[in-house]
Amino acid sequence: MRIWVTGIGVVSPLARGAGETMDRLVAGERAFAELELFRIPEMRARVAAEVRGLTAESVAPPGEAEGWSRTDAMSVLAVREALGEAGIDPKRTPVDLLLGGTTAGMFETEDLLAWLSREPSAITPLQRMLSHPLSSTADRVHEVAGPFRRTRSLCSACSSGANALLLGAAWLRAGLSDCVVAGGADGLCRLTFTGFTALSAVDPGPCRPFDRRRAGLNLGEGAGFLVLEPEDKARARGARPIAELRGWAVGAEAHHITNPEASGRAAARVMLAALARAGIGPADLDYVNAHGTATPLNDAMETAALHTALGAEAERIPVSSSKGQLGHTLGAAGGIEAAISAMAIARGVIPPTKGLEEVDPACRLVHVTEARRAPLRAVMSNSFGFGGTDTVLVFAEPGRFPDPEPAPRRAVVMTAAATVGALGVHGVAGSGLYLEPGPAPAEGPVAFQAGEHLDITRARRLDRAGRLATVAVRTALREAAFDPSAPGVAESTGALVGASFGSVDASTAFLRRVYDKGAKFASPADFPNLVPSSPVGHASIYLGLRGPVFAMADLGATAESTITSAVELVMVGEADAVAAGSVEEASPMIERCLGPICTGIQQRGVRAEGASAVLVEAEDGARARGARVLGRVRWWSSWRGSRPDGLRDAPAPPVDGDAWVLVGREDERLAALVEASPWAGRPLRALAPRAGDHEGAGGFAVAAALSALADGRIAGALVVGGAPDRTYALILEAAAAGRDAARAP
Amino acid sequence: MDPSEVRQQLKELMVSELNLEGKSPSDIDDAAPLFGEGLGLDSLDALQLAMSVEERFGVRIPEGDEARPIFASVDALVAHIVKAKAAA
Repeated sequence: MRIWVTGIGVVSPLARGAGETMDRLVAGERAFAELELFRIPEMRARVAAEVRGLTAESVAPPGEAEGWSRTDAMSVLAVREALGEAGIDPKRTPVDLLLGGTTAGMFETEDLLAWLSREPSAITPLQRMLSHPLSSTADRVHEVAGPFRRTRSLCSACSSGANALLLGAAWLRAGLSDCVVAGGADGLCRLTFTGFTALSAVDPGPCRPFDRRRAGLNLGEGAGFLVLEPEDKARARGARPIAELRGWAVGAEAHHITNPEASGRAAARVMLAALARAGIGPADLDYVNAHGTATPLNDAMETAALHTALGAEAERIPVSSSKGQLGHTLGAAGGIEAAISAMAIARGVIPPTKGLEEVDPACRLVHVTEARRAPLRAVMSNSFGFGGTDTVLVFAEPGRFPDPEPAPRRAVVMTAAATVGALGVHGVAGSGLYLEPGPAPAEGPVAFQAGEHLDITRARRLDRAGRLATVAVRTALREAAFDPSAPGVAESTGALVGASFGSVDASTAFLRRVYDKGAKFASPADFPNLVPSSPVGHASIYLGLRGPVFAMADLGATAESTITSAVELVMVGEADAVAAGSVEEASPMIERCLGPICTGIQQRGVRAEGASAVLVEAEDGARARGARVLGRVRWWSSWRGSRPDGLRDAPAPPVDGDAWVLVGREDERLAALVEASPWAGRPLRALAPRAGDHEGAGGFAVAAALSALADGRIAGALVVGGAPDRTYALILEAAAAGRDAARAP
Repeated sequence: MDPSEVRQQLKELMVSELNLEGKSPSDIDDAAPLFGEGLGLDSLDALQLAMSVEERFGVRIPEGDEARPIFASVDALVAHIVKAKAAA
């Protein structure tokens, strides 16, 4: 099955619109100028690639701009353009949205966060904070450019947009979707500007990718989205392809939170995996759109990786980086550069690397410094993010190469569960304690001594969220006797862990220093921990996980989102094993402001916190290594909108034993869904009464379900979770042989 | 500023700013290289330490190659701070 790109939308610092952005790239224009969006005293670097004149007010519905961000506005414009070009109306055709980003409404909420940190009594449900969570951008796009059937928000720092496209492509290949719009968006903000400057990663002048004198990146902003469809569905409605998305791969370096692995070994592995997925070789590639940030370390690493992956063909294949014209648009870069790669094929033109004058001997490649016309059979687009998450996409001329192999649909099982919460650090058996009668937990942070579980010298860079996440994942891996260091295992083992509201308190503390003391006292060591993918990135480094590694966020359903996505990635073969869960920390900002304003949840009992991880594996692999299967994934679903009959077609509970419905937090809407399903009348167990009320309670519900399945108390469990306007459902069954393989509606 | 006072403050700063949990200032060798082996510090720690030294002592550490001899050891860093303070 071929995947066609049928629509492209871009908002870039050079232009609003994909075609005009490409025109200007080809013309060699650069978008760098003195930053106008904000001023920070004593800031050394002031050059940026800004989307001028763009405000939330210009795109938000009347009266709603206060809860919108510029990131939201850019996303809406780009998604509308992409859907418009594809000729798809999401009101009439089911479309799924996958959105990668890092900062969402950070710019719009920075001043307020710093002020609230001085005036904690003013922390109340403030409308302006609506735009802060990573998932708010997908929510705004859903509201005004949708509706979408499903949405996912994910973050892997500077490869976020590429990973959104990757997950969307995996869905299409597995038949889980017939149309996705996917990409990335990020707006400029003080946090990233001062943070990258503190890391000495910003060139005070216009950047010079691959140049001997390169001195760092320039920050940019924008949004880039692609509409992807299976060829047969697109043909049936008379659509035409811009390009094919043929290959994709994601892998983690498990090396360092900011510095790339100098050899480029992991990046080369991911490039080769993407070519293998595409069913082509280096001889078929006619252009590489490089990550090319213009930092000394990235460009040398990427060059080494390209030589390793492409061999002698690296002497032939032209390479350029769009960041010399657009700056580094962070979470948007993977989406915008995918758009550029697809347009390069459609137009038969290679855009240049501007700013490159004298090639660094460590960056010896076939550089293109002026655009040139050339027929392009296939193009590779590289994206690398903090924490060492490398993602590579391969686009091709439509119909040029043979039809790719269809995807396997593998049976999926869960082989471990771990929770770090009010009752301590537990594997699957202990996670069942949350179902026993007992008192509510103590309010606030859980007692957790990292030194009891981690080598604290190795873990010194991990903040508390990183430590909680790492301990949860490590506990799950140990319990499953899963050894990521075994040959070939690390590369196919990933982790998806997110936090519903990111690292809001650490971001606030970082910004307070900048506001109070000046930009030069921004903490370089703290900055990497503010990226939403930091906890899972740290876990991958500490534990040596080299498969798909990224964060997701979906208000109070973040664990449900990561676990569902892990099931999907394993089912379609993007990974053999993925640890998935969430890490949610106690925080007055979340409890008194973000939670109530974003989810409408005021107070449902004692507020606590917790991290969870379940190990999702392909059944064949789990059985081959003799793993104890705790539960099989029988069915899952996720959707946006109310859909009161959303569970009506779910498979009925097993007949050979008891079956429970589990939820993280009690919720009348979820209970009503169950009552309108074949699971009506089954006992409903909520986790929050013992685990405390927190955004990650849904992850505890999956862990507790596995515990009850493992000890034979039940034969089946329906775990339901959600947040306003979104629902996730998962049916797990006891591991007895002979049951139906997993299926998704 | 008294070098021994600078030394003590610097080591306390290193323990707290570089999250050297489980280590005390007296565990840090005066003459050993700061980066690479020993404490296991890297370029990200160098950036954090330079920022913290400027905040605490008001002494700027130059960037790039010029920083190398200053970051050679605790002794070298103390000498740089004391000299810069005396010149101020």
